[in-house]
Amino acid sequence: MASLSEEVLLVVKKVRQKKQDGTLYLMAERIAWGPEGKDRFTVSHSYSDIRCQKISPDGKAKVQLQLVLHTGESTTFHFANESTSRKDWEAAKELLQQLLPKFKKKANKELEEKNKMLQEDPVLFQLYKDLVVSQVISAEEFWANRLGGINNGESAACENKQEVGISGAFLADIRPQTDGCNGLRYNLTADIIESIFRTYPAVKQKYKENVPHNLTEKEFWTRFFQSHYFHRDRISTGTQDIFSECARQDEKGLKSLVTQGVKNPMVDLLSLEDKTLDEGYGISSALPSTSHASRTVKESSNFAIIKRFNHHSAMVLAAGSRKRDVPADQASETSSTDGNSRDSDFFQPPLKKVKLQEAIEYEDLQQENRPKTVALNLKKSDRYAHGPVPLQSQQYTTSQDIINSVNYIKHEMSNYKPNLTQVLSSAAASSAIAALSPGGVLMQQVAQQAINQMVPTEIQAELKHLYVAAGELLRHFWTCFPVNTAFLEEKVTKMKSNLERFQITKLRPFQEKIQRQYLSTNLTGHLECMLQAAYSKFHIWQTRRMMRKT
Amino acid sequence: MKLNIDGLLVYFPYDYIYPEQYSYMLELKRTLDAKGHGVLEMPSGTGKTISLLSLIVAYQRAFPLEVTKLIYCSRTVPEIEKVVEELRKLMEFYAKETEEVNNFLALALSSRKNLCIHPEEFDAVGRQVPLPAGVYNLDDLKDLGRRKGWCPYYLARYSILHANIVVYSYHYLLDPKIADLVSKELAKKSVVVFDEAHNIGKDLQRLWLSGMSEPFLAFPEGLKKDFKMSKRLEKLLFSTDNVCIDSMSVNITRRTLDRCQNNVDTLQNTIQRIKETDAAKLREEYRRLVEGLKEANVARETDVYLANPVLPDEILKEAVPGSIRTAEHFVGFLRRFLEYLKSRLRVQHVVQESAPQFLKDIFDKVCIDRKPLRFCAERLQSLLRTLEITDISDFSAVTLISNFATLVSTYSQGFTIIIEPFEDRTPTIANPVLHFSCMDPSIAIKPVFQRFQSVIITSGTLSPVDIYPRILDFRPVTMASFTMTLARTCLCPLIVGRGNDQVALSSKFETREDFAVIRNYGNLLLEMSAVVPDGIVAFFTSYVYMENIVASWYEQGILENIQRNKLIFIETQDAAETSMALEKYQEACENGRGAILLSVARGKVSEGIDFVHHFGRAVIMFGVPYVYTQSRILKARLEYLRDQFQIRENDFLTFDAMRHAAQCVGRAIRGKTDYGLMIFADKRYARADKRGKLPRWIQEHINDGSLNLTVDEAVQLSKHFLRQMAQPFSQVDQLGLSLLTLEQLESPEMLKKIAQIAHQT
Repeated sequence: MASLSEEVLLVVKKVRQKKQDGTLYLMAERIAWGPEGKDRFTVSHSYSDIRCQKISPDGKAKVQLQLVLHTGESTTFHFANESTSRKDWEAAKELLQQLLPKFKKKANKELEEKNKMLQEDPVLFQLYKDLVVSQVISAEEFWANRLGGINNGESAACENKQEVGISGAFLADIRPQTDGCNGLRYNLTADIIESIFRTYPAVKQKYKENVPHNLTEKEFWTRFFQSHYFHRDRISTGTQDIFSECARQDEKGLKSLVTQGVKNPMVDLLSLEDKTLDEGYGISSALPSTSHASRTVKESSNFAIIKRFNHHSAMVLAAGSRKRDVPADQASETSSTDGNSRDSDFFQPPLKKVKLQEAIEYEDLQQENRPKTVALNLKKSDRYAHGPVPLQSQQYTTSQDIINSVNYIKHEMSNYKPNLTQVLSSAAASSAIAALSPGGVLMQQVAQQAINQMVPTEIQAELKHLYVAAGELLRHFWTCFPVNTAFLEEKVTKMKSNLERFQITKLRPFQEKIQRQYLSTNLTGHLECMLQAAYSKFHIWQTRRMMRKT
Repeated sequence: MKLNIDGLLVYFPYDYIYPEQYSYMLELKRTLDAKGHGVLEMPSGTGKTISLLSLIVAYQRAFPLEVTKLIYCSRTVPEIEKVVEELRKLMEFYAKETEEVNNFLALALSSRKNLCIHPEEFDAVGRQVPLPAGVYNLDDLKDLGRRKGWCPYYLARYSILHANIVVYSYHYLLDPKIADLVSKELAKKSVVVFDEAHNIGKDLQRLWLSGMSEPFLAFPEGLKKDFKMSKRLEKLLFSTDNVCIDSMSVNITRRTLDRCQNNVDTLQNTIQRIKETDAAKLREEYRRLVEGLKEANVARETDVYLANPVLPDEILKEAVPGSIRTAEHFVGFLRRFLEYLKSRLRVQHVVQESAPQFLKDIFDKVCIDRKPLRFCAERLQSLLRTLEITDISDFSAVTLISNFATLVSTYSQGFTIIIEPFEDRTPTIANPVLHFSCMDPSIAIKPVFQRFQSVIITSGTLSPVDIYPRILDFRPVTMASFTMTLARTCLCPLIVGRGNDQVALSSKFETREDFAVIRNYGNLLLEMSAVVPDGIVAFFTSYVYMENIVASWYEQGILENIQRNKLIFIETQDAAETSMALEKYQEACENGRGAILLSVARGKVSEGIDFVHHFGRAVIMFGVPYVYTQSRILKARLEYLRDQFQIRENDFLTFDAMRHAAQCVGRAIRGKTDYGLMIFADKRYARADKRGKLPRWIQEHINDGSLNLTVDEAVQLSKHFLRQMAQPFSQVDQLGLSLLTLEQLESPEMLKKIAQIAHQT
């Protein structure tokens, strides 16, 4: 079973499974175990099937690893090599930890998708029950056809999927805990890391640059939490800190944000004031002469905190809306690259106008916005209901035509003479009417056909399910034609047997049930017809194939 | 709708009207009829501007000879543009209703930086062509200018002379330097409106620091850098100063003097050069000066111009004194004056003296008389004209010094000179400054009151209304304060005086560093952030205070917890950075994430930015925003107020602090459909003397039960309030109560009710 193309990532010897010694293989897409001395795997799980791994606690004598599958089954491996068991176990655990999430997402997504489809579509669910649960066809076969739909739907769903924003307090969620010996523990989850990366692209950049070439992941985050970058209220002194560059980049980013200015003129504090006093006029305190350098440490740390909060909030906000903004940003960039003041003037007014209008609006002083309507007062409502039907364009006739035809009808009417000699006799007429009325001779067939009154509803429902299931199977069957590949050949034979199985396990009992209730048997006639058609098609195909072979 | 306001037909461009708008228009009409001045307070969001415009335009149409022009002064550029847009709406309504083309010309005027379309080439065309009738906003002017190739700035400046309505900023009327250029010739029969007039008080010191002024752009590179540095560090100490005061106050530093020295040298060189090439020109100037400033005098007597307070009456009657008549003598005179100022800046201790003391000292030391000093400003202007110096901004330093000379020698009262050898915070660094501060805003605004027939001062927060006439020294014919009629109590003022642990909350100096207070403040914000939807704005009393609190909240982990609920944005001292934070804040409110803006009372945000609807569902005022009282200038001003107007220092400070607090919390309510919490987090707000100084429309919603709440109680009340407010609220709910149709308005009982809205004082 082991195909050679698979990349083996880790081999651990002396691993017990069900009290049997063996070797554990971790490969690119699955984990497998084979008993000692044999070259086949008795246990093999694709990573995507694994829900989680459970590990034995640190201090325990038995070093174990348990894999829990989505189906609920579990497999336990016991690392039995005395000297290196702990190390082996660690290695396997670490590797699995890295591998599982990759597959997990995919598997979960598929599962979720399938679940959702079944939940949303009761017919499909019933079909699933009829075909898969009763083991007429396998689940894979069942989904094989639909997955195309899933994948299509998936891509559409991806586009529409709403980006999840970032919690403003994700840094607060990393609660540092003292570990008792003068150290701090930070709890990092994948979500938080994701948040950090999305909010601070500079850190992500650093991460890419340094991990894993220069630092391990753990070292990286340790340094991150030690850095002045994380604790912004401390004043950065050292330059070896890899994050000092991040801080500089942030500074730059903030500056560029500031220089970009604001789009909404109503909040632009710079252009708020109209006229300024010349230098030297006005009441002012002494010219503040203290320079940047002479600020106290406390002041500048306060200053840094404030800056940081503004930046952080802006970044969180931007991370939430980054995707949407891309086209807009490009537009603004093109306008700003050639943007001397005159150009920007041209771009400004619409937004400004809108904001101004918003600002001067008193919604309650105005009449409600929608146009005044006149209440419809109908004296004869049926006339309204049966009003003239709109003309189709091809039926359209000119007024001349209408006048002509009216004239013609008038003419006909005036010339109408009843030809009383050719009328049916009254007896014949009344018997014809009687025959055509419900219960009459000619109407009996109709009455018989009204099965929905004759057949109890549960039988109807069952019949419906049978139809749906049969339809599904037949669909599978017919999609195999024309049979031009070996796979299809195989499938068509399988489907035929499926159909037969269906007939035997589902249709026959139903027929018997109907017979027991003395209902007319031709309820399933059509179903059998369809099956027969499929069988005959299969026979024709088979005989042809035989002929071709011989 | 068409209204009948006391016999005047007023077109009002809406289908409904608020009762207080009607009442407001009645008062306004009365003021215009009496040809007097008025002070009108009405909460923001009740359509003050449109009522004002509707009435005055109607008045202008009805009595074109009585009122020829409306001069509408507002504060910020967006404010100005908003007024013009409302005006446009009104005019469109007129056009629709009367179906005749009206020949109204209305336009906005702003500084050159907002109106310029050709920054590189100077283009003054556009002065001569009259603007066709219509409403022109700043963008319209720019558009027109671009199409015709005219300079919009000059076009606008020329056009305001014959426009029916002019909308511009205070400075064009109050700052003598600009008013002289722009507003001098505006007709006497104009109505002047100062909107948002509480902001006649605002600080401009930060403004010129923010690096926008034209002369600033001409500064050498090194200076600019200096300015940017200082901008960030500048302390928040200001704000009882106002446009009037700012435009009349002067600060002189060593740098000013150095630059002045350079200017004087340049002047001397230029004079030397001209003397060699074109001596006749100088002689001509001399002759003109002998004849005196007759022209100006004639103009003033015939009342063509708005008076310039820098140019006192006496000067006009006399000729320029002989000692400074020739150009060289004048330059020498300036040098002497400069040397004297330099010597004064060499002091080691703080000096405070009055103008007469200063004059005596200067006479004793360098024998400079009062008279030539008085002519200094005028003489310099004349010289600069004669020398044909085009770039006057290069000479801003020497202009400043000469203006100072004229002011100090003209006004013996209302000004104080303070010389500080160093800043209080950094006593080791010598940085001498000479402050020449105007104590009396009425000096600058006096010409406006004297010249124009009606001056209306209006705002949402003027309470107590009677203090303005006293400070600005005028006699109004109407003073009224209107409340906001509400169909539902859409504002919820709460006074939080205690923490959950019963610690008294206060920002007063003694408890500033108290961790218990800071922690409780943090808890308040945290709890609120969990309860209030969308945006919360929090104001601190000063920047330094906010920095400290933010730092200790950070240490205590409070901010992190707040971040779980909302994003945090903080006002910084850098305007561009704050603008960005503001925009992001609005974005976060817009997309539903919710945000908190930490800001500073008296800061730019608190004075210029509205937080309508979901942008501000709650405002928290941490502490009472008292002004920093250690400033010597402020102290001097308080003394002056006490001596001149019998306004007690404490009264003034409380008045000022409460006005700013109201200003801050009022930012959240901008209309009757809006709603918001107003949380005053300081136990001192509960005192009657403080509470009583809040505007009436806030005061009447504070009930005795919400005077000294704990944080928890406040949260409970807020929850209740917010849940109530979140219920649908439609126009129908308001009709008949806070919103009227024409029929409802005309019913007699409603008219009786309306009469009570105006709170006569």
